[in-house]
Amino acid sequence: MSLIDALPSPSFKRRPWHPNVVLLCLSGAMLAAAWLLSFVSVAPNRIVSGTAFGMVDAISWPGAALVSLLFIAMAALSSVPTSRHYRAMLGIIILTLLLMPFGLMVAGHWLVDPSLPQARLGIGAAYWTVLFVLLLCLVELRLRLGLSRWWPTLLLAGVGIAWWGCAALWLDRLALVQEFQAREGQFYQAIGQHIALVGTAVGVSVVLGMLLAMLMRRYQRLQKIAFTLLNFLQTIPSLALFGLLLAPLAWLAANVPPLAALGVSGIGNAPALIALIAYSLLPMVRNTYIALEEVSAETLQAAKAMGMRTGQRFWQVRFPLALPVLLEGVRITAVQAIGLTAVAALIGAGGLGTFIFQGLGQAAMDMVLLGAMPILILALIVDAGLGALADALRPGGQE
Amino acid sequence: MIELSHVSKQFGDDIAVEDITLRIAKGKFCALVGTSGCGKSTTLRMINRLIEHSSGDIFLDGQAIEQYDPVKLRRRIGYVIQSTGLFPHWNVARNIGLVPRLLKWPATEINTRVEELMGVLGLPVGEFAHKYPHQLSGGQAQRVGVARALAADPDILLMDEPFGALDPITREKLQDELAKLQARLHKTIVFVTHDMDEALKLADHLVVMRDGRIVQQGTPLALLQQPADPFVESLLGGLERGLKQAALTRVKDHMTSLGPSWPAQSRIPADFSLRQALSMMLRDHCDRLTVVDQGDVPIGELSLRRIVKEAQLDKVSQRDA
Ligand SMILES: Nc1ncnc2c1ncn2[C@@H]1O[C@H](COP(=O)(O)OP(=O)(O)OP(=O)(O)O)[C@@H](O)[C@H]1O
Ligand SMILES: [Mg+2]
Repeated sequence: MSLIDALPSPSFKRRPWHPNVVLLCLSGAMLAAAWLLSFVSVAPNRIVSGTAFGMVDAISWPGAALVSLLFIAMAALSSVPTSRHYRAMLGIIILTLLLMPFGLMVAGHWLVDPSLPQARLGIGAAYWTVLFVLLLCLVELRLRLGLSRWWPTLLLAGVGIAWWGCAALWLDRLALVQEFQAREGQFYQAIGQHIALVGTAVGVSVVLGMLLAMLMRRYQRLQKIAFTLLNFLQTIPSLALFGLLLAPLAWLAANVPPLAALGVSGIGNAPALIALIAYSLLPMVRNTYIALEEVSAETLQAAKAMGMRTGQRFWQVRFPLALPVLLEGVRITAVQAIGLTAVAALIGAGGLGTFIFQGLGQAAMDMVLLGAMPILILALIVDAGLGALADALRPGGQE
Repeated sequence: MIELSHVSKQFGDDIAVEDITLRIAKGKFCALVGTSGCGKSTTLRMINRLIEHSSGDIFLDGQAIEQYDPVKLRRRIGYVIQSTGLFPHWNVARNIGLVPRLLKWPATEINTRVEELMGVLGLPVGEFAHKYPHQLSGGQAQRVGVARALAADPDILLMDEPFGALDPITREKLQDELAKLQARLHKTIVFVTHDMDEALKLADHLVVMRDGRIVQQGTPLALLQQPADPFVESLLGGLERGLKQAALTRVKDHMTSLGPSWPAQSRIPADFSLRQALSMMLRDHCDRLTVVDQGDVPIGELSLRRIVKEAQLDKVSQRDA
């Protein structure tokens, strides 16, 4: 269960003149951000830090008026919250999201000197703030309208594709796009590496975690030792764990040739995977164990009374009833691994973290973004996908 | 036939059931009653080996229970519990078909059987087959529970407070249906309940337990007439005992042929209980009722004096016996 789901879903009130304070505040915040924070920045080349521009400079008065109008309309709609108004707000949010790349295009056209081939457009604080607040609005609207998890995900995917198209076709002045174009092949490769690392780590820890959880159910004594150990592993900072693995693995690679032949070495994939699996085991084992233990004793007793054998009781009753909670464990593990894998770049395992650390090293924030954004998107997709799967597998589509 | 002979069960140092001897003939309905914690459920669960007994012998159709494979034994014994124990991830049809599936019946036969049982228990197939347990009311879930227990046509049915969580009207309806079903199927039923009226109404054989022991057993009427001690007496309703006994007696057993006097105004069907007759007399302020058959044709009469006198005679004859 994600944090958002754990919040009590607010009851739907139709009392007039009773504004939705959350959305009202968020709309106000977006309006303030658009006017007060820097909209874009322009730099003559990669090294020099850019000059910030406000909204009026970037998209002129008509553009600023349009943006303000959108946010004021949202504020107005949220002051009379009805389900129709919520739907209208959803429409405005989608429209705003779709308009955002056009704002950049206009700003690029206005502000970037075409005679400087290195000149580039940076995305300003106002943009990020508005984007973030719009996502918060989406979360609130999803709760109010009782939409399933899939809705916002599909929506964001659509918006993402639209942005991608704009970026590829017209936004070549954008610093982010320039960073991307400079290392396109590397980017796709990094995404692939990232997914492969996460997939392997999660896959292995799902199998290991389930085995461990089942062993713990059988041998109660193992339970305490295993949880203590896994909890301890979780407290080691990830960088330290990568470092700790360096020496023993380097030694192994030097002294056991078959392992070296398999690609084991002090840096690279082997230590990264080991550390990722070590971190992934705790949430996986904990959720699997709890999920299996949580199944109602009465139901299991009934299964026994009906004449189901031990294996039948496990695979036909206990396991399917535990599956939703177990998948929550996979979800937590996967999202955590997607983040941790970024750190693995430091020990040469590749992945999207490479851009983050290179960017940090070169003080090129747009390159950091190039690594961070896909990580965020990947995490969101996995989170929503596995969450929806867990929901779908609830007994009889329950809850 | 189920036979328990000096059966005891200990959980650690606690004795849950002590020296129980009980015979339930084939096709009989046996009700276990007693205060909470007296070992009723434990007794029931020892029969299908959910709990292994500590000492004594349990026989099923003359064979010691240890000689059966517990899994196969359980598939031969229907089991219904208060919370229904339905599998939340399976729909109604799948829940009902469980034991036949475990017994590897062919799929078509399972379907036929499931539909037949849903019909018997008043669950329209089209409406309920694909519903999940959480979409059912308590009464509907309990019907599914009973259908599931009956699915493989077991000879024996163990029911642990099956109607305990239902409202009085639904409960009475299900009791009536169970009575009808039993009249048709003649299962050997062991039934645990806290509701004395339910026990008296349904049982052929009533077993009163206290602190793991059987205090008294016999037909409901025998227990009502001669409770062994004050505990049984209070359990059977104390002062209300007379009315409970009247509830077990049919009007037709106490009616006399139509006399020469003017027939009484109030009419009562012959298969109603004496309790209902008494209630009608109180309501209509009369001491005589005209007994009618199903076609509302008078066939006799019932008088208060006679009921009271015969009750007294019953008691005297029993004391002599
Ligand atoms: N698995 C068990 N382990 C230990 N003690 C148990 C177990 N099952 C039952 N007991 C004990 O055995 C005694 C009888 O329990 P049982 O469940 O048979 O009572 P009951 O007559 O069915 O009560 P109720 O009417 O409340 O259902 C109780 O004291 C109970 O605490
Ligand atoms: Mg009980």
